[in-house]
Amino acid sequence: MMRLQLDLRSFFERFKIWAVSFRGSITLIALAGLSLFPPITRSVYWTQILISAMIFAIFAASWDLLAGYAGQVSFGHSVFFGAAGYVTAALVRYLGVNWILSLIAGAFAAVLFSLLIGIPCLRLKGPYLALGTLAFSLILLSLFYMGPPWSDILGGSEGISGLPVPPNIFVAFYLVLGFMIISLFGMHAIVESRLGTLLKAIRDDETCADASGINTTVYKLIAFMLSGFFAGIAGSLFVLQQTAVNPAYFQPLYSFYAIIMASIGGIATIFGSIAGSFIFWILSEFLRPLAAAALLIFATLLILIVRFAEEGVMNPVMERIQEYWDKFRGM
Amino acid sequence: MIEEVIIFGTVQGALLALLALGFSLVYGVGGVLNLAHGAFYLITAYIIFWTIPLFGFTVSAIVGLIAVMGIAAFTSLALIKPLQDTHIGVVLVTFALAFFFEQFVKYFGDPLYHYIAPWVPGFITLLGINLQAQLLALVIGSIALVIVVTLFINKTKIGKSIRAVSQDAEAASLVGINTDLVLMTSLVLSALLVGFAVIFYAPGNYIAPHIGWRYLLLAFSVTIFGGMGSIPGSIVGAFIMGYATTFTDYFPMLGPEYSQLIPIVVILVMLLIRPQGLLGKEEVQ
Repeated sequence: MMRLQLDLRSFFERFKIWAVSFRGSITLIALAGLSLFPPITRSVYWTQILISAMIFAIFAASWDLLAGYAGQVSFGHSVFFGAAGYVTAALVRYLGVNWILSLIAGAFAAVLFSLLIGIPCLRLKGPYLALGTLAFSLILLSLFYMGPPWSDILGGSEGISGLPVPPNIFVAFYLVLGFMIISLFGMHAIVESRLGTLLKAIRDDETCADASGINTTVYKLIAFMLSGFFAGIAGSLFVLQQTAVNPAYFQPLYSFYAIIMASIGGIATIFGSIAGSFIFWILSEFLRPLAAAALLIFATLLILIVRFAEEGVMNPVMERIQEYWDKFRGM
Repeated sequence: MIEEVIIFGTVQGALLALLALGFSLVYGVGGVLNLAHGAFYLITAYIIFWTIPLFGFTVSAIVGLIAVMGIAAFTSLALIKPLQDTHIGVVLVTFALAFFFEQFVKYFGDPLYHYIAPWVPGFITLLGINLQAQLLALVIGSIALVIVVTLFINKTKIGKSIRAVSQDAEAASLVGINTDLVLMTSLVLSALLVGFAVIFYAPGNYIAPHIGWRYLLLAFSVTIFGGMGSIPGSIVGAFIMGYATTFTDYFPMLGPEYSQLIPIVVILVMLLIRPQGLLGKEEVQ
């Protein structure tokens, strides 16, 4: 009992130190601003967009965990997204399972798929791995689009629709916010732990890691499974929000969304995915009134960001803010 | 059925050879995975389609070829070269470029299907099968181009430096080869081949803003099948793939729906059992 109290106190102490540090205060201010958004604006429309942005932040961070830290660049991340989405949708729609149980089942289905992809693709490196995972997602995409007899089991191009609508959008907002915070801090804890160090060692020099006695095969598989798990959570949440799932969830575009968001935010930062995802969704929303030109402008911006901001936008901007912050606190 | 497979398989193989040869060359030279390869096809097809009413086919074909070569040179200098150290950067920027061209075509044209009339009119009969004379031109043109490119790679100075860079980029730059120039040359060459693929294959077919991705996938699968960076591999791979997809098209139990899957299954199986491809070289670590 004593020990627990001590631990709790030291936890609070650490939290206090973290909260007054630069990163901690920025995080808390951003979270506070985000959670105050719905009650202040009361805009259902923008709340929906922020929900999507938060879901994709989880998805992009899961890609970042695999590619940025373990060095396994995947172009087939939509497999985890779609597989989890289908399992969740089928459980909720046909078996009437509680949404949270279906979400967990979806995430574990994604873990299963990550093993299915990870084991055969482990022999591949670099662009070959990327292509192998891409091929997997394309096969699933074609299978789900196929007509009978496949469509009788898999639902064909219609997919599964008519899931129950979340009763209250604002409650859903806070639930997704909670999921995002837990997932992102979970992934951050993973990459900061011993496991994360091992993964970084494999990324930086696989031969050397192997020679130092790290079982690279096992750790690469673990990275695949963890990444698949979080991508699965994102996929299930997205399906529950959209109340429908169709084969388009497997298309490479979703994998590229994750890659784009993670790169906008900065690769190997985990939290950068939040910045990337919010920039992506809010930007595409502001460009919407331009109709046909919107996607053209978006593509141009994308080329410019990738070309000129290799580190992503989050870290450089944060460093700039930190300068002002230090000046402000120094006063 | 055999006759159809032979004839249409050859046609398909000739098209795939044009698409895959350049793709494989570019990968061999810089380790560059050019996701805008299909977009080069798309933009050439649309430039030709837009300029035909102004100049007629011959001039617009030349305009299309020059334009796509210019685009390739610009892509290489402005986008690929600065990002070459980070492979993910190249992949992202070429993906963004492909996306850009798709939207560009959609914005300045329309998202509908368009038809370009074949410039070799009429039909001919081979082995009892009617086919567009345009497709025969495709086969002849493709074979001629493959021979020319092979000679270019093997005999000319710049061709030899392309081969040198693809064998060992570091050693090549040590002996004074300008690797950036070589990368640009191979990208322009691959764009030129894609441009010719458009000239031979697009007339008589439909074009739409999304077609680029399909041609990219075809080039991908052939290159992986034949071996990344191997020129003979991509030619042999192209024809094997051509016959395989056509066979699936005409096989009674299967059909076009399944032949769409062939390229992807080929990628997957090949990557798993022989990642370096049919005639590719082993990667040395």
